[in-house]
Amino acid sequence: MAENSGADPAVESKSEENAAAGGTIIMVTVKTPKDKEEIAISEDASVSQFKEEISKRFKAKQDQLVLIFAGKILKDGDTLSQHGIKDGLTVHLVIKTAQKATGGSSTAAPSSSGATQANSGNAGTANPSSASNLGTSQGSGPSPAPSQPANIFTGFGDLSSLAGLGMGSANFMELQQQMQRQLMSNPEMLSQIMENPLVQNMMSNPDLMRQMIMANPQMQQLMERNPEISHMLNNPELMRQTMELARNPAMMQEMMRNQDRALSNLESIPGGYNALRRMYTDIQEPMFSAAREQFGNNPFSALGGNTDGSGAQPSRTENREPLPNPWGPPDTTSSGTGTGTGTTTTSTTSSTTPSVSNPLGVGSSSLGNGIFNSPGMQSLMQQISENPQLMQNMLSAPYMRSMMQSLAQNPEIASQVLLNNPLFAGNPQLQEQMRHQLPVFLQQMQNPEALSVMTNPRAMQALMQIQQGLQTLQTEAPGLMPSLFPGGMPGGIPTGVNVTPENPPPPSSGQGSTPAAGTNPTQQQLMQQMLQMFAGGSASTQTPEVRFQQQLEQLSAMGFINREANLQALIATGGDINAAIERLLGSQPS
Amino acid sequence: MLMTVYNCSPPHHKHGMDPNGTAFPVQLYIYDLSRGMARQLSPIMLGKQLDGIWHTSIVVYGEEFFFGGVGISSCPPGGTMLGPPDTVVELGNTEVTEEIFMDYLSSLGETTYRGERYRLFEHNCNTFTNEVAQFLTGKKIPSYITDLPSEVLSTPFGQVLRPILDSIHIAPPGGNVINSHNNHS
Repeated sequence: MAENSGADPAVESKSEENAAAGGTIIMVTVKTPKDKEEIAISEDASVSQFKEEISKRFKAKQDQLVLIFAGKILKDGDTLSQHGIKDGLTVHLVIKTAQKATGGSSTAAPSSSGATQANSGNAGTANPSSASNLGTSQGSGPSPAPSQPANIFTGFGDLSSLAGLGMGSANFMELQQQMQRQLMSNPEMLSQIMENPLVQNMMSNPDLMRQMIMANPQMQQLMERNPEISHMLNNPELMRQTMELARNPAMMQEMMRNQDRALSNLESIPGGYNALRRMYTDIQEPMFSAAREQFGNNPFSALGGNTDGSGAQPSRTENREPLPNPWGPPDTTSSGTGTGTGTTTTSTTSSTTPSVSNPLGVGSSSLGNGIFNSPGMQSLMQQISENPQLMQNMLSAPYMRSMMQSLAQNPEIASQVLLNNPLFAGNPQLQEQMRHQLPVFLQQMQNPEALSVMTNPRAMQALMQIQQGLQTLQTEAPGLMPSLFPGGMPGGIPTGVNVTPENPPPPSSGQGSTPAAGTNPTQQQLMQQMLQMFAGGSASTQTPEVRFQQQLEQLSAMGFINREANLQALIATGGDINAAIERLLGSQPS
Repeated sequence: MLMTVYNCSPPHHKHGMDPNGTAFPVQLYIYDLSRGMARQLSPIMLGKQLDGIWHTSIVVYGEEFFFGGVGISSCPPGGTMLGPPDTVVELGNTEVTEEIFMDYLSSLGETTYRGERYRLFEHNCNTFTNEVAQFLTGKKIPSYITDLPSEVLSTPFGQVLRPILDSIHIAPPGGNVINSHNNHS
């Protein structure tokens, strides 16, 4: 009797059966995924009565039936009219199968918090066996994370500031240090760097990351002393998580907070403080001191001193102090909670007390914008000229080389790295300049001759002289410099290095004419020409003869028959005929 | 005849009597497969203005469900190769739980929405979306989407292209097929 469009007698007989309170009979279509049926039911019927009908028609048990209308699940206690089910409308039916549907898995769980929990959970369960292991693993899990990004960034900061400065001859360590400081003090810079697609590419390549980290000799030492660290490095899962962390500053902060909180709670467990101290001295200290050697500054003296001096154990209640405000400015006193040093925030270094989340304890000392003119830069240059080994060391670092290669191959990426370098963020002119010089610079960096020249102390001294000369110029004619060298000093000293040996006359004549304080145009042309030298390199421009062909002809037509002198004059004046003539007239014995 | 009037029972009451209170929002994601080309070229080619070639999917419980040449698929919202949707329409809330919904989808995927049942004109992603939308919320999807095939077919150009278009199965990659074992023909 289960016919879809029942004949009237069938419907009527049904309606006789179904008429509960004499209400109107309505035809309701019940639709399943597989088929649909029309069911006649009284208007006032309840849902359970409806289900009874349905179970008969569909040959299913009543409690397997789920009725849905207008997005609502019809419950047994409701009535049809309550839901507005009228004649001709369609109700959906799902017949529950016996087993639990797999759709019960909460795929809708918000992924970000899940990921965070998974991360912290995984970091904590690296060695879930015992409490001491737990402390250790918790320490070794996230705490290399802060110094890993530190190492990573130093690798990066080094490179990008290298390329950025265009000098290539900065003091390795000091530059790293400065970059590090800037990074630590300005979290936006950090995120800027992180958003750089080159960085992200690198980060997503765990092998590369591992190589970079392992190439660092201090890291190698550390790894020998603490095999757990090498475990951690070799665990791709953990590496990936760490990189995710580093990539996502919000996640990182979250983790740091969790870490801090967990640590501070750990302190209050009996014996927990000792475990923390142990963990700290075993793992963190060597790591920090390794980092310290690398960075050359000394923020950890406080740490070292305080560990022994902190006789007072923290009270055995939970640490109720609020964690430092993660969004507040980095302040110098209050970020010391929650580390192995416990409540000893009395360290009085000028920089911030290191905590787990801020391993170097760097305060907000920033580099300053006048990077070229800062005294630090001057000292850098001096150091370089005195210490050519540094350059060689830096350049021979394996990751440096591969990075330089990849940069040289991808000038766009290089320029992007350059542009995103926060050191130049405020100085678009400089960026432009750097960008132009970049390809040549990169090639020259790979040129072993250039390298050898850079390590040649006399060459470096010559460069220093040029630089000093230019500085003198700057003071003599301040209006001149900004128009020519937006950064205050010509970049591309290494490019100049290549060219200098080949074109001795112009610089010497340049130096000669500086004290002469000749006409401004002459100086200008000289500067332009030097700039061209720096920027153009030797190979890319035509020989002066070709360039000044036209002028040479003009000069010879005027009667200046000494071609050599003409050429020199033209070179000195950058092709300006009139000025060349003046030079020639001035120098010719007549 | 008794005609009782109930005050608060319009068919689509959202704030009505939900003793459970669980409501899951349902959205319709609309994509233009032609990336704007239909809007520009349709007057020339078809003689009438079509604003897009619409592909739709239903987003509920944090997942996107759609029907294509491989059957019913799901992915994270906006996770197909089409990228983010051009338009999102709120269809309302549903009380249907995810469990029931997956049951429902499984049965659909075994019957009327197997992969080989895909027909570009008559039984396509929008057909599926329409049906699911009605199941979940009682509402249909906007008519300009479901009218698209007939619009195209009513042009001479559409008629000419019909044999070719019929063989096209649109299956945006990036999703996991539900009930894939049932989709072999």
